[in-house]
Amino acid sequence: MTITAGPGATTGPDGARTAGTDTATRPTPVGTDPVVTAVHLRPPQRRGMEERFAATDPSPGLDIARHPKVARILHNRRLQFMLILPNQIVFWAVIFLGLLGTVVPGLNFGTAITWYLWFCLVFVMMVVVGRAWCAMCPFGGFAEWIQRRTFWKRTQKVLGLGRKVPEPIARYGFLLSVGSFLALTWIEEFFNIAGPGAPHATSWMVVGIVASALVFFLAFERRSFCRYVCPLSALIGTVGAMGSVAGFRTRDRETCLSCGTKDCMRGGTDGYGCPWYTWPGSADSNLACGLCTECYKACPSDNIGLYLQKPLTSVVAPHRRRADVAWAVAILWGLVVFQQVNATNVYGSLDSWLIRATHIGYPNPVDYVGIIAAVAALMAGIVWVAQHALERRDLQVPAGGHGFMEHTSKFRTFFLPLMYGIIPVVGADYFARQLPKFFKHVPRLVPAIGAWFGHGSTSSSIYHMRLLADPRIVTVQVGVIALGTLAAVVTSWRIAGRDLATVSAHPAAARAVAVGLALACGAAAIVLYIAMHAAS
Amino acid sequence: MTIAPDRTAATPGATAGTASPAVTVLVDRCAGCQECVVRCPTEALTMDTGRWVAVADSAHCVGCRQCVRTCPFSAITVEGPMLVADRVATQVHLPKHLAGDVSETRRGITTWDEAVAEASRCLSCPDPTCVRGCPTHNDIPAFVAAVRQRDLDEAHRILRRTTFLPDVCSRVCDQAVQCEGACTWSLAGGTPVAVGALERFITDNAPVPPPALPGSPGATGSADVSSAPGEVSSSPARRRRVAAPGGSSAAGAPSVAIVGSGPAGIAAAWELLEGGAQVTVFERDASPGGLLGWGIPDFTLPAAVAERPWDQLQAAGVDLRCSTAVDAPGLERLLAEHDAVVLAHGAGLPVRPPIPGVDLAGVEDATSFLQRARAALQNGDRLADLDEAATGSPRTAATVLVLGAGNTAMDVARCARRLGANAICIDWMDPRFAPVRPDELEEARAEGVDVRFSSTVVGLEGTGGTVGVARIARTRQERADRRPVIQQGSDELVPVEHVVLAMGYRLDPELSHDDLGRPFVKHAPELPDRRWTGSGILSAPAPAFARHQPVGRLALARETARVTAALPRRERLWVAGDALVGPSTVVEAMAQGREAARAVLAHRPRRPGTQRPEIAHVVVAYDSVGGRTASCARAVADLLGADGTTVEILPLKQVDTMTLARADLLVLGTWTEGFVVAGVGPSRTTRRWLADLPPIAGLRVATFCTYGVTPRGTLGIMRTLIEARGGEVVAEASMGGRNFLAEAKRFGVTVRTRMRSRAAVAS
Repeated sequence: MTITAGPGATTGPDGARTAGTDTATRPTPVGTDPVVTAVHLRPPQRRGMEERFAATDPSPGLDIARHPKVARILHNRRLQFMLILPNQIVFWAVIFLGLLGTVVPGLNFGTAITWYLWFCLVFVMMVVVGRAWCAMCPFGGFAEWIQRRTFWKRTQKVLGLGRKVPEPIARYGFLLSVGSFLALTWIEEFFNIAGPGAPHATSWMVVGIVASALVFFLAFERRSFCRYVCPLSALIGTVGAMGSVAGFRTRDRETCLSCGTKDCMRGGTDGYGCPWYTWPGSADSNLACGLCTECYKACPSDNIGLYLQKPLTSVVAPHRRRADVAWAVAILWGLVVFQQVNATNVYGSLDSWLIRATHIGYPNPVDYVGIIAAVAALMAGIVWVAQHALERRDLQVPAGGHGFMEHTSKFRTFFLPLMYGIIPVVGADYFARQLPKFFKHVPRLVPAIGAWFGHGSTSSSIYHMRLLADPRIVTVQVGVIALGTLAAVVTSWRIAGRDLATVSAHPAAARAVAVGLALACGAAAIVLYIAMHAAS
Repeated sequence: MTIAPDRTAATPGATAGTASPAVTVLVDRCAGCQECVVRCPTEALTMDTGRWVAVADSAHCVGCRQCVRTCPFSAITVEGPMLVADRVATQVHLPKHLAGDVSETRRGITTWDEAVAEASRCLSCPDPTCVRGCPTHNDIPAFVAAVRQRDLDEAHRILRRTTFLPDVCSRVCDQAVQCEGACTWSLAGGTPVAVGALERFITDNAPVPPPALPGSPGATGSADVSSAPGEVSSSPARRRRVAAPGGSSAAGAPSVAIVGSGPAGIAAAWELLEGGAQVTVFERDASPGGLLGWGIPDFTLPAAVAERPWDQLQAAGVDLRCSTAVDAPGLERLLAEHDAVVLAHGAGLPVRPPIPGVDLAGVEDATSFLQRARAALQNGDRLADLDEAATGSPRTAATVLVLGAGNTAMDVARCARRLGANAICIDWMDPRFAPVRPDELEEARAEGVDVRFSSTVVGLEGTGGTVGVARIARTRQERADRRPVIQQGSDELVPVEHVVLAMGYRLDPELSHDDLGRPFVKHAPELPDRRWTGSGILSAPAPAFARHQPVGRLALARETARVTAALPRRERLWVAGDALVGPSTVVEAMAQGREAARAVLAHRPRRPGTQRPEIAHVVVAYDSVGGRTASCARAVADLLGADGTTVEILPLKQVDTMTLARADLLVLGTWTEGFVVAGVGPSRTTRRWLADLPPIAGLRVATFCTYGVTPRGTLGIMRTLIEARGGEVVAEASMGGRNFLAEAKRFGVTVRTRMRSRAAVAS
């Protein structure tokens, strides 16, 4: 088994030995692998590679793994364990305190930390980093410990069946994750878990997530759960595209293409194969990079870097727009709009009427699904109209495949870029939605922690302390949306300039429509926040 | 040599209208890594570089499913038939009158048309799994392509790169668990290409060329196939050189002694001879060939084929000394007289069952029985003891009871049948789990051998000290990994005249009673080389054709033994074949013998009292975490590579057995782990690597470490671990502080100086 020389392999100037007479007795070097002689792989195809990745490859200067100290940390197999451990402790505390602690939601540590702080923090991490939460997630992390039968070591035998997610489901990419997010949000609204309601409800929700993660980790290989099922995965993936961390990418694509082992995908001595089904050699966004550092550890050529990128790069730059991501954006936008609408009086009367008609309590699944679907359909409708108004007469769409992801059409030519363009406003809306709980109640964490020692009470002044008054909160929300809208205007402008200019009769009009869509979404969100405030 | 056959070539028998296989690429998971694209034999997979995903063209697909096996993210599925013609059938000769008939049972492909048709079933896979399945890694697609082109000379040239015994191996190999079990068709659940039959077709129709000696025309590994076996022009110069066995090697040619003349010895002698060494072979028996000679009956391996290698080797000038056994003191003498010794004495001690009556007269080992039977059959004689037993009742034949049902047991029983006796084979394993070749079992039963599984002999009884009755009990075995259990009260008495023990062999403790770490246990590594994984040989279910054995893991396990044979077990002493791993196969022994010989040629060891060979190849290995040790290693490597020495620089985890076998000098660098006072030492990776190190007898090692505060005992720990494996530490240094690179360069100069002044290195 010959091993090819590592980077920087050196050889003598002429390969011949200076002294000695018996060079004739030295035949082909010992260890010449006869298998290597017999292997004649076809050369990998490189045509168009440069252009394909030009826009998405981060600049070498932004590779923070070049710093020896960072490299040392990233090489350490305990890194992810150390990230998961604090969260693990917090969430087991959430489970136990939710079941055993005080029933006052505001004073129970489980509910307080989950709904006043954690959700906000996840959104901040999403927008700043990307899948930072995934790297430290205690749910997947816990299941992965069991799947790998270790806390941090590289083991070879995994526990469980190691199945692959069936192709009929996997072909829809992140849409299953969107579906489970819709389901979880409905459950959370129905049982008033996030209100926060009774602490045990939060506990059971966390137990449910951990249990389903465990089941999927034991049935399927790698992080199939995180990639396809996790309720937060699609949201973190799409909104996280705004983030400033590009994730683990190849340093030199040529090395990756000629790599004979692909340890980053198959697993090497020091790292597992990518649990997220991402290849650093072809990653063009941070969409499916879980920042778990496994590829970095596994690479035999030290050819993987951890790259930073300008904010919004993963929204704007990717050449291949994914249909599942575009639809995920439309549906997630529908969900957040629903969550705003459901605080208005109009919705209240509609929902009450439906509850009387169907005998299923708040929120009634009919209007829940109906409103989300209507918003998503409205987005599609707007794009459909825009497409017909904008498209070039001679527009020919290159033939795609037959599946959901491969299918191409004129509609998709416009729909996919425009949906990518509004990612920032959708993300901002989700974030703004979490702000009231944070500003109103986050100080309650102090008495909630004090309650462990018998010093927390609903009568304490800190329990009723607010970081901001209600009207101020709305101002902050509107500010966040305005910021998100501004970002969406920028992304839509640039995406339209690149992706839509070539397919539109009037490139300037395409840009105007894209920017208009972003502004309209932002305006709608702002109007709804003001309406919500008025309703309360 | 790359011949990518089109579909019509691979599917001459595929009828028109056969449904095409359907290939689906799961776009969500396809990362565009092109592992499938570079391996597809029919170019049915290409890249859509715009979307950067693989695209399948089902119209070109033949359904071999290599893409399914090799995709790291399992993003490809293939449904539908395999488009490949039926395998060309070969004849099995079952003689009507068995007595005395030693003609070959299995026959080869007889016509060119059939050979080309069978060769056309081969896909010429770009990443041929069959090559990995073959223990010596013959370039199977290349020689099969040569057959397609009707070029047998080229086929022999390709075979010679890896094998010296194609005529033998094509007859005696169990291809089902080797090349044919690893054929891409068989991994996909189909019928493999008849690799063995094609290899045999080559040797049946063009004789195996003799050793190509250095200096002779076509000496660079390509053999001259025009000359018939034995027709070697032996120039006076060569004869003179050969005539000085163990003597002075004035021309610088190393003098190598080989103990044993079986397959491992043949391969070592052949490779060394072609490398210009003087070879002396010591054989215990009166005739050379070891197992090839007496172990395999003529109806499987004809005498002419078995004797061919030694005819050629002796004609080429190997000094063969038969009837010369080598014992432990003899080995020391050989080491003193020769530059290197290759131990290839095999594993010849028969396993004897712990049952009463095993010492009775009429109970014999398979080895001696086979030797007698072979002589008797070749001379047209009968065996006296079988006849004597039958004299009591002239009409009834004697009964030979064979303990075991493996290769050897079948051979014994079938020889006994040919000598006119009845034969019973007894195996205590369940027929579902017994490691018996199905073709051999079928042939034995067709020849009238009574093969009984789930039975065992619990005792032998006799009158007058001669065996007469065997007590046979039934056994039960639930699972393959459980020992069979004897069922009480199921005893049956069977009258027998002769009992042959064929329950396997083991290493003779008298010969292996040394510190060479034998037998080396073959094992499939937990994390195999990912190029093996990538080829797809490991991810397919074990083929039914290969008796549901995981051919990939078997091949990987064999590989560990092959590469281990390249490392000396003691300074200047290599071990190969059954002597290394215990009872094994002809082809594995040959591969190991060849590997040992190549190591001898590469390292040019010298007897004590002569100059040690200079250092030609340096391996610089480092374990670096922040990059400092790596830059030190590069600095050292640059200095060592400056005067014509070849230098290979690798991260420690990539240094494998073969890399070590290549090295004349190993430079090992590590970072220092631990706090100022606690746990300071070489990094965990380095320590683990050193602890798992194979024997590196006589390998010169220079060590260094980089440290932050203090290296403390780091170098001492490394020295202890290296010396425990037989290595010799020739220089060591630690580098810390700001000017670590300057220190590394100083260390490089020290090592280079010591490399040049051999006395210092040898001290």
